[in-house]
Amino acid sequence: MGDVAGTPRGNGILVCIQCGRCSSGCPVARLTSEHNPRRLMEMVILGLRKEVLSTQLPWYCLSCFTCLDRCPQGGDVGDVMFAIRNQAVRQGNIPAGVAAQAKALYETTRVINPIRSALDKRASLGLWPIGTEGLDDVQKILKRTGMDKLIPSH
Amino acid sequence: MVNRAVMVVGGGIAGIQASLDLANRGYKVYLVERSPSIGGRMAQLDKTFPTMDCSMCILAPKMIDCSHHHNVQMLSYSEVKAVKGTTGDFVVTVLRKPRYVDITKCTGCGICAEHCPVEVPNEFDEQLGTRKAIYMPFPQGVPRAMTVDKNNCIECGLCIKMCQAGAVDLKQQPQEEDYNVGAIIVATGFDIFDASQIPTYGYGRYRNVITSLELERLLCASGPTGGHLIRPSDGKIPRTIAFIQCVGSRDRRFGTTYCSSICCKYSVKDAVLIKEHEPNTTVSIFYIDMRAFGRGFQEFVNRAKSEYGVRFVRSSPGEILEDPASKNLRIWYEDTVAGRIENAELDLVVLCPALIPSKGSHELAKVLGAEVDQYGFFKAADLITSPVDTTVQGIFVCGYALGPKTGDIPDSIMQGSATAARVAEVLEGSA
Amino acid sequence: MKYAFFLGCLIPARELSYEVSVRKALPELGVELVDMKAANCCAPFSIQSVDYNSWLALAARDLCIAEEMGLDIMTLCNDCYESLLMVNNLLKKNPELKDKANQILSEVGKEYKGKVEVKNLVDVLYGDVGIDKVKNAIKEPINGLRVGAQPGCHLTKPKRIHFELLRGFKELDELIQATGAESVPYERKEMCCGGPLRDINDDLSRSISREKLRALKDSEVQAIATVCPFCFLQLDLGQLEVKRHFNEEFNLPVVHFIELLRMGMGMKLEDWEIKSHRIPITDLFKGRL
Repeated sequence: MGDVAGTPRGNGILVCIQCGRCSSGCPVARLTSEHNPRRLMEMVILGLRKEVLSTQLPWYCLSCFTCLDRCPQGGDVGDVMFAIRNQAVRQGNIPAGVAAQAKALYETTRVINPIRSALDKRASLGLWPIGTEGLDDVQKILKRTGMDKLIPSH
Repeated sequence: MVNRAVMVVGGGIAGIQASLDLANRGYKVYLVERSPSIGGRMAQLDKTFPTMDCSMCILAPKMIDCSHHHNVQMLSYSEVKAVKGTTGDFVVTVLRKPRYVDITKCTGCGICAEHCPVEVPNEFDEQLGTRKAIYMPFPQGVPRAMTVDKNNCIECGLCIKMCQAGAVDLKQQPQEEDYNVGAIIVATGFDIFDASQIPTYGYGRYRNVITSLELERLLCASGPTGGHLIRPSDGKIPRTIAFIQCVGSRDRRFGTTYCSSICCKYSVKDAVLIKEHEPNTTVSIFYIDMRAFGRGFQEFVNRAKSEYGVRFVRSSPGEILEDPASKNLRIWYEDTVAGRIENAELDLVVLCPALIPSKGSHELAKVLGAEVDQYGFFKAADLITSPVDTTVQGIFVCGYALGPKTGDIPDSIMQGSATAARVAEVLEGSA
Repeated sequence: MKYAFFLGCLIPARELSYEVSVRKALPELGVELVDMKAANCCAPFSIQSVDYNSWLALAARDLCIAEEMGLDIMTLCNDCYESLLMVNNLLKKNPELKDKANQILSEVGKEYKGKVEVKNLVDVLYGDVGIDKVKNAIKEPINGLRVGAQPGCHLTKPKRIHFELLRGFKELDELIQATGAESVPYERKEMCCGGPLRDINDDLSRSISREKLRALKDSEVQAIATVCPFCFLQLDLGQLEVKRHFNEEFNLPVVHFIELLRMGMGMKLEDWEIKSHRIPITDLFKGRL
């Protein structure tokens, strides 16, 4: 729990009283018992590090912030999710879609890139061409923060 | 020369108790109450926990005592406007609001109200019932006199015509009067958190989402439905009811971060009352913690579960949805003990809102020069050594105006007596 | 009124019609847009999930570019909006975080000073242009159209940030009403579209948009108006996906709010723009296309 609580987005976990208001409103929890913000908080509080960091659970969060808005303790559940994910990534737990976006960011400054036909359409409409201006800066930043090392297959 | 006059601001149970204690001791008490009748919140309740006594039955005799006591002068429909002086010698300016009725002549017979053509929602019934523009707030009102609501009165003059005592006087003017007293006691009670500040609960939009105070009026035999619990949208008997605890209380989003301390108790009381009337109705209480401290309350909770079948669900739902056709409500919640997300369809939802300082208490504190805490409740001079003294010498405070200590009725009465004892101590020279 | 126009990644990749509508409609309302050509991705939730400091620095770099331009930022995408807004808030309120971000930014010769604001299209239209001016620009009111507004999660949550900016749902509702259409209340208006789970768990993502679409259908809306391109994708293309996987059809046309405004202003959509809507809009908007 200290790992999560010690991060800027994670210290909300310290005030959790397990009231269940977050899970009561979570759109994903409604659909699948696999994802449950209250239970995730409980697991972190209980120190179940392996279970929390090795599962898909934290990745099913929509970041819709419904939980964060409703938490009576100001526990910032939606933010704690990010703190958990940061830890999970450092254990190699990162979904393919996220990894692909991180890689694209490092290689092009964008997480999603237009395909050829989209670029052609842009040109035909006279809109400014999307390029990779700023790539140098982005790579320097990601090297400085060490994120470049967290991107798989890089 | 001991100034043996005291002013009590607020005619609820705490103020009434303090007044009677002092009056019995030979003090002259001016009991100021801003509504037309004394009685306060306790008059609005049906039964009190955990003994299930009829609230008005306990309160009314004390109200009558106040009205008949030769040492108590009730200044009803009045407000404190200014205070000067110190212990032993305060001069309090009280605004006597015009009732447009001469209470020395009015017998409270009510013929005027029968004929009054104007009907408006009724504050005493939390807007669920109605009253006329000339009215008594509730049948056991003290003083036993009518009041004219000038804002809604159309000045048709029917009441003047019908009144056999000639008591109606639409030309009355507000009066300011000065009273010289040795000490002041604040007993201004509480208001409830406005639940429409939490839009996801639908209060104010969904007719079948009500507050616990509204529920009390529906359960009470003197209420708008004669004590029949029917739901606002269609008058049907609700067969599934949910209580939601901590609406505003314990909530950092609204600054009311404290526990209001009586809601767990009263909701279990109300749940049991409902089950007694309608054993086939399912009643669920959605809570974060079930705080049933003190004598008899945990046992009461246990009985509610085992004998009455009240369902206790450890969950704090964030949202209520409404079916536009049936006006039924749906709550999605996680039963945190079972670890399962479920949903329930309900006929009626009762919100238990936070209890907040009475409207106007901020202004009163300024007038008195007394400090309030971060929630707006009157601050005790010292929580341990002077718990019913305010930060101004000679001014004392009791009941919920002090905040959610334990807040239930016996505690308010105790605090009322405590302030009476403090006043006597201070004025008789030993403090 | 002049803004640094932050385009984001999704719009140039998949929703040029949104960009084009904005570039056509906004100048008519007195808004000038200056492109942020050197900007990088805002660091949306996927990137925030990987590393916190990178998020701060990447978003701060974009804020620096706007500061150098001397203009407030206008975004179209809710993800971009939330990311840049949150970082702007954090750095403004937190000197330690500001130092940390600037330490990283010094590598690329930039310094965040906290001089600009981050705004969304709705902010600009409602707050800066103003409802009256928008109303006056309407030449062909879209009377009687029942619209389900989808403001999106990140325009209104977390409330503690957005309420500071005095935003709720009413801004988008009033803008829709200004065009003559009706913004119909519906259950689950606050609910997420499910977009963020695309490519992570498509089944869940579809189930969520299905719940949202059901709520919209129950309130008998005729069209859905979105602000965020992600919501648009999820509810437009997503409707086809829901049909394919759950065999449930909704036939609810989805438009970007700015397209609604454009049509109300009397500007016609071009063929390629019409075709970019997966759920056909031709029947509903006959005569305006």
